[in-house]
Amino acid sequence: MPRPEPSFITFSIDGREVQAPENTMLVDAAKLGDVEIPVFCYEPKIGAPVGACRMCLVEIEGIPKLQTGCSTPVKDGMVVHTQTDRVKAAQESVVEFLLINHPLDCPVCDKGGECPLQDISFGWGGGRSRFIEPKRHFQKPLNLSPLIAIDRERCIMCYRCVRFSQEVAEDYQLVLHDRGAATYVGTFDGHPYVAPFSGNIIELCPVGALTSQPYRFRARPWDIEGAGSVCTLCPAQCNVTFTVRDERVLRVLARENGEVDDGWLCDKGRFAYQAVHVDDRIVRPLLRDGGELRPVSWERALDEAAAALRRAGARTGALAGGETTNEEGFLLQRLLREALGSEHLDSAGGLPPAALHALARPDLQATVADLEWAHTVLVLGTEPVDDMPIVDLRIRKGVRRHRANLAVATPRPSSLDPNASLSVRYAPGGEAAFVAALAAALFGGELDGPARDAGADPDGVRALAELLRTGGEDVVVLYGAQLLGAGPSVAPALLKIAGALNVAGRAGAGLLAVPGGTNGRGLAEAGVLPGMGPGYAPVAGGGVARGTEEIAAGLAAGELTALYLLHCDPVRALPRRARWQRALDKATTVVAHAQFLTEGLAEHATVVFPAESYAEKEGTLTHPDGRLQRLRQAIGRQGDAAPEWWVLAELAKRLGHDLGILTGPMASAQLFAAVPFYAGLSLDAIGPQGVRWADAGDGAGAAAFPAPAELPAGGEPPAAAAPNGALRLGTFRSIWAAPEVERSPALKFLHPRQRVEMAPDDAARLGLAHGDKVAVGADGASVHAVVALRNASPAGSVFLEDGIPADAANLLDGPLVDIRKA
Amino acid sequence: MTGAILFADIDEPGLATLDVYRRRGGYGPRLLKALQMPREALVEELKASGLRGRGGAGFSMGTKASFMPKGQIDKYLVCNADESEPGTFKDRELMQKSPHMLLEGMIIAAYAAGANRSFIYIRGEYAQQAVIVERAIAEAKAAGLIGERILGTDFSLELWLHRGAGAYICGEETGLLDSLEGKRGNPRLKPPFPANQGLYQGPTLINHVETLATIPHIVEMGAQEYAAIGVQNSTGTKLVSISGHVRRPGNYEIELGTPARELIYGLAGGPGEGRTVKLWFPGGSSSPVLTGDDLDVSYDFDSLAKAGTMLGSGAIIVADDTTSVVDVALKTAQFYKHESCGKCTPCREGTNWTVKMLERVKSGEATPMDLDIMASVCENIIGHCLCVLGDAMAMPVGSMIKKFRGEFEAYIEQARAANPWGSGHAPVEALEAQGALA
Repeated sequence: MPRPEPSFITFSIDGREVQAPENTMLVDAAKLGDVEIPVFCYEPKIGAPVGACRMCLVEIEGIPKLQTGCSTPVKDGMVVHTQTDRVKAAQESVVEFLLINHPLDCPVCDKGGECPLQDISFGWGGGRSRFIEPKRHFQKPLNLSPLIAIDRERCIMCYRCVRFSQEVAEDYQLVLHDRGAATYVGTFDGHPYVAPFSGNIIELCPVGALTSQPYRFRARPWDIEGAGSVCTLCPAQCNVTFTVRDERVLRVLARENGEVDDGWLCDKGRFAYQAVHVDDRIVRPLLRDGGELRPVSWERALDEAAAALRRAGARTGALAGGETTNEEGFLLQRLLREALGSEHLDSAGGLPPAALHALARPDLQATVADLEWAHTVLVLGTEPVDDMPIVDLRIRKGVRRHRANLAVATPRPSSLDPNASLSVRYAPGGEAAFVAALAAALFGGELDGPARDAGADPDGVRALAELLRTGGEDVVVLYGAQLLGAGPSVAPALLKIAGALNVAGRAGAGLLAVPGGTNGRGLAEAGVLPGMGPGYAPVAGGGVARGTEEIAAGLAAGELTALYLLHCDPVRALPRRARWQRALDKATTVVAHAQFLTEGLAEHATVVFPAESYAEKEGTLTHPDGRLQRLRQAIGRQGDAAPEWWVLAELAKRLGHDLGILTGPMASAQLFAAVPFYAGLSLDAIGPQGVRWADAGDGAGAAAFPAPAELPAGGEPPAAAAPNGALRLGTFRSIWAAPEVERSPALKFLHPRQRVEMAPDDAARLGLAHGDKVAVGADGASVHAVVALRNASPAGSVFLEDGIPADAANLLDGPLVDIRKA
Repeated sequence: MTGAILFADIDEPGLATLDVYRRRGGYGPRLLKALQMPREALVEELKASGLRGRGGAGFSMGTKASFMPKGQIDKYLVCNADESEPGTFKDRELMQKSPHMLLEGMIIAAYAAGANRSFIYIRGEYAQQAVIVERAIAEAKAAGLIGERILGTDFSLELWLHRGAGAYICGEETGLLDSLEGKRGNPRLKPPFPANQGLYQGPTLINHVETLATIPHIVEMGAQEYAAIGVQNSTGTKLVSISGHVRRPGNYEIELGTPARELIYGLAGGPGEGRTVKLWFPGGSSSPVLTGDDLDVSYDFDSLAKAGTMLGSGAIIVADDTTSVVDVALKTAQFYKHESCGKCTPCREGTNWTVKMLERVKSGEATPMDLDIMASVCENIIGHCLCVLGDAMAMPVGSMIKKFRGEFEAYIEQARAANPWGSGHAPVEALEAQGALA
């Protein structure tokens, strides 16, 4: 969809001639002339102006009544006055009205000092009130949710929070109750406002009516400093500002970046900072001694780790988790490849490196903002609200504001289904066949066979192809990168789809991957892939390069003896837990960098280095759309934690190899020099908003991208398992399935417990009811779960939660499971 | 009365049925004539008739219809039957006794606006009328007057009746549209006006019951003849609801431009024996009040505007000299405070504040300075709100303070003397019981 090209007009404000894009609202246009028009209810992020607070009344020549600047689009030749007696009197009166019921408890209010109502009262108010009646009283503060406190006396009814809930997050929970002076904000059903994006209303509130429970009374604005960085808890990589007091993170605020997050945060990103300061963080090096992990000095830990790695040499494998920065990944692959001579490293959970390379082509790349402006968005094999939450809001915005067509193709019912013009289901295990069927449908080929293999309705696939073909030229396909693990045929089929939709080289259209880990893309580009070095360069020398699967097998078979884990616990994070347990059992040495002793590390690690939290780190990340973003250190490291680059350099040194790194920025410089398409980037160039490498240096970045090799067709895609009376197992990872959520006191209540989602018909057949406790089993393994019936759930498949410590889905290998009452 | 148009047959038994209505000329040649006219010509005819909206704002009906965009898009006609203005009860009688007249008007108006879907939004309290209108709709549908290809023309119309849930604000056109869409009934920001973006974002013509019911008669008489009734800029007849201190309260159809005295004294019989008119609302409780000195004003849109008030919904409420102006002001303010939707600041807080001040006047805890504050609060509301509900309180209350300041001051003095300790110490009720306030 073409984005509107603003044409500039000239208007006059307070006697000044100002140029502004036509149809900008007056309050925004006024800023271009350095005139501030005060507002409370106006917030363009939420949607169309509502003109409710009446604070922005201004005088426009030729219009007898005062007009609200928030809702008046500026026109050529408009003459606006904001300083006349009439305007001042009106604005003063609105401030007076707003304050008559406001408690003026600023000295004990969290908002005091950073409160728009305070600022505007000082700037535009009359300074005194003629109101002598008793003020309105409510019980206060109440828990709007465990995360948010509501003080209804302070509320000025701008209803930004209600509009956010209704029009941005679309959770439809917040409403205005009652009317007139008795109006108050609450949830529709009186239940707590618990939703993935609820915390945004705290930041939207222009008064102290909505405050953060974890931040309440922790600091005043003059106690704190803001430190800009990037959230590393999911691939969305939202830009954040840490509120820091005395070297502690007390709060996370959005740092608006229209190309990344649109100014919103999910509740995980907003509240999981608490995990930085919990007691069970690892803050000293640990060494297994007599079967137990005991704190030791850095020297001892480094020496022991280096000695063990030297013994293992080329029989060392390494896995990097999603939170690893580009620099850490880059140094890890140098350590493995240069100091140990090992080619067994992976960051992609076993996805084929050649496919990652082929799909990273800059001409195929869509951006986050493209999701909003596309004619058609296809969400394929991912649940944005869980996998990359902030993108969920962007998709909703496109549908709501620009009438984008949305198509969803997933095994599990999606929270975007109600917004979608079309939703198609396929069976878990049918991913490859489904992508093949869609490619066939777009090329008019035979699709009934592959669609049936995928467990999908062929007519649905046909309708989907039709929508993609006819919905408009700009098509964005948001796909879960995990799809590539479904078989070698997936990536070629995705490229075929991209070809059929003609997205290559088209601005506003393309593919956008949701990687399994936060920095999945950056780690692939930094060379943490088996057989592929920095910049997707094939590693010379031949030999076997083991990926995730082969590392597990190699460890179990004794062909590998050491495993290096950088921010990764494979037992928790990767499929097939039992296999990883066996592999780690057999490994002689397991060296890990970690913040928390998750189950795999607690049991198997031999050396654990205390890892920095994201608030303590510097370095860069690469967003799934190719945007390099900068992490900045906000607080001092906790305990004895040390930067990962230093640990990696020290280990290399002890192994007789100097990496030449003395500071974090030196690692960045080495990375930029090593990846051809990062050439010319620098930390300064990346700056606060990040830079897409494809755009850097006037397209020099894109030109330096090495052409990927042609992918082989990949053969027949595997079909989804036929249930034959059993049920297919699908898995998903909830937004709340994260160690940080598990450990943050405020968020803990959201940490999921296992439940098995199933269709009511399947449950009826098995004699199960909603809430029943069951055992879900396959091949002798079983997990305990609670039955959750979902009407939209497809018959024949059940879905279990992954990424949680107990009863996790990765205990079962599938593809079929039995369910019995427990 | 002679010259009645809308109420000419109003007391005809069974007029609410299709048969009787047809016998009295309803759905006759005039309907076919209207549906066979070119749309533009019909709109021109409505414009030429000078018909002004009867709901309160008095905007030219034909001009409003001409704002509807052309082209094949979903357009809507909405009839505002949320008659909630205190003192107004004419639409109730019209819908109760002659529902088909409204339906016929809606068919023609929908045709003029190019709308194929229409709604009647009727106030929740009009339960009996809703049943009657529903029955009339069913009859009209069965007779092929509503539905596909009406009277064999190309024009089709669907019509639904929707009952409100009891909010004055839903009589405000955009609040009504929100409520009709199933949302909280809050007024919308204008522009965009309903003609561009109304119901479900589609172009919408929204008109009042009486306005729509007049349309068949304009078509029948012709615009020229209709425009000859009344005075310049206020053509035609108007239904007025006269209530309060009069001997014969009720609905009357009058020619616009009739002197007010003739309405209050002539038609309604004036106040009781030995009493005089102290103040009167010329157009519902939201119009600034006039006094007994203003009875010779001509009852039409422009003359009333010149007198500093408005014709509004055509509801005359009369208060005689036994009435305390403080009571009138408080009752009026309380109503608007209760009905304020709370969306915009001046209305939400201003109506609430005014009521609190008036309550202090009543309880003897006010000073004349409070009258200045009240007047200033009313000024700060007027013209600063999202819709006109705030103005609807501020204008009459402001006018009462201005015109009866002496009485307010005297009341304050008297109430203070009677209650020197304030409400926290000596309850007014106790003093009243002692006769201290008499």
